[in-house]
Amino acid sequence: MQKGEMYVGWSTKEDVRKRGGSGGLVTSMLAAALEKKLVDAVVVLKKINEFEAVPIITSDVNEVLNSAGSLHSVPSNFAKLIADRNLKVALPAKGCDVRAIIEQGKRNAINLDNTFIVGLNCGGSMHPVVTREMLEVMYKIKPEDVHGEEIEKGKLIFETKDGKEHAITIDELEEKGYGRRESCRYCTIKVPNNSDIACGNWGVTGDLVGKATFVEINSEKGAKLLQNAVDAGYVQVQKPDEKGIAIRAKIKGVMEDLGKKWKGKVFVPMDNRLEYFRKELEHCIDCGACKTVCPTCSCGDVSKCTEYHFRGDAYKMSMYHLVRFLHLADACIGCGQCSDVCPVDIPLTRLYRMFANPVQEQLKYEPGMDLRKPPYFEVKLNE
Amino acid sequence: MSESTVPQAKTNGWEPKIVAFCCNWCSYGGADSAGMGRFQQPASTRIIRVMCSGRIDPLHVFNAFLEGADAVLVTGCHIGDCHYVNGNDKTKIKYKYLESVVQQLGIEKERLQLNWISASEGEKFANFIRDVTEQIKKLGPSPLKPEGVV
Repeated sequence: MQKGEMYVGWSTKEDVRKRGGSGGLVTSMLAAALEKKLVDAVVVLKKINEFEAVPIITSDVNEVLNSAGSLHSVPSNFAKLIADRNLKVALPAKGCDVRAIIEQGKRNAINLDNTFIVGLNCGGSMHPVVTREMLEVMYKIKPEDVHGEEIEKGKLIFETKDGKEHAITIDELEEKGYGRRESCRYCTIKVPNNSDIACGNWGVTGDLVGKATFVEINSEKGAKLLQNAVDAGYVQVQKPDEKGIAIRAKIKGVMEDLGKKWKGKVFVPMDNRLEYFRKELEHCIDCGACKTVCPTCSCGDVSKCTEYHFRGDAYKMSMYHLVRFLHLADACIGCGQCSDVCPVDIPLTRLYRMFANPVQEQLKYEPGMDLRKPPYFEVKLNE
Repeated sequence: MSESTVPQAKTNGWEPKIVAFCCNWCSYGGADSAGMGRFQQPASTRIIRVMCSGRIDPLHVFNAFLEGADAVLVTGCHIGDCHYVNGNDKTKIKYKYLESVVQQLGIEKERLQLNWISASEGEKFANFIRDVTEQIKKLGPSPLKPEGVV
């Protein structure tokens, strides 16, 4: 197996296939990597309920196999979890997770040579709290009754315990302010080609629909990971057909165009920007949660931004955020974590992106997409 | 800032408060020679001497704005003349980011300016201060000024 090759594959274990999404390939691949000592640990999500899960680092194969299954309402960015631990680890990651891991790698917090990133196609995720509210308001069902969820043909489908299916189109949900998180709507990284191996159900055709995963190998590490799983007998693969590859490319294109459209809708030019920022940041209680979760920040506990956020001064704007606006201008990956955790619901990701978009466009630099250093460090100085 | 405050401030004989960061080796000397050469300039600047313009952290600029500065000037040696070899190269890179953020924030671009002034250019320094003061007088007080600061 080599870089650039594509496969369609599924798990050989009946149990994993049944519980896992799309043939359970990712779960089996991670379990195989752990079994054959390719890695010391694996990061998986431990389900609490249908809407919540916590990421855990585990070396137990059974725990990995039990984690099978996909969730759409999980805000979790794994980069900080494995940072500064020096682990040999394999982990599944969405587009933004992959970008965060690479950014942490550039900051020497993660050794990328020891990290196997299994990229997952992602059309967007949902906030658990918003999802619960949406179920009650839009679907008119109790969140506790939900048994499973799925996205198919632009519709978000929830299955209740009594076996009934409830479907509403995502467009309709997003018009009402529910559905995907805002940062996911304008995200344009739908197939994570910056990971070691990109997996997803787009491009699976014929009888295999829903029973297999489409895999694209993006690096040597990815090839090693898949080869190991095949050799260990955990996974079966075959070559994809031409039609499947074409369909995958088409879905990718459509999703990216949709993302770009959203970007135009969200970031409209404004007249009185200063007043807008002042109003939005007025409620900030300086808790520092946005910095704690920020997957590209690796300044540590005591840093420039936290040193300067006291409410005793009469400043019209939080100094803390001004420093972070500047700091993230070339580093923000737009993962949406800061908005998710904000206790006073400031749309922080949108604010940070407002500063990051022009800088990153001007410098033609996309953080987390490759190993290119931030432009600040690229400039040649006079000797 | 509401539009009504601009003419009012003008009629009250309001003088802008300008914070100028000057490097020890060039632009501070420039300010000195402006005085020695008796070039007239408005008394609107508050000079802060730093050892090198590369020392000026964007944080200092934000702090100046939040404390009530109507404009902030970043000045240093000409490129290639830095006393510390490449300090002002670093200023240039930092300033690029800072400029973009300040403009996105909605602060007028005249309120943050960068200029290279050598120790012998007293006239250039005086002219620069005069120009900036004129521009800021037209714009009126900074919208980021805390309550009670004039």
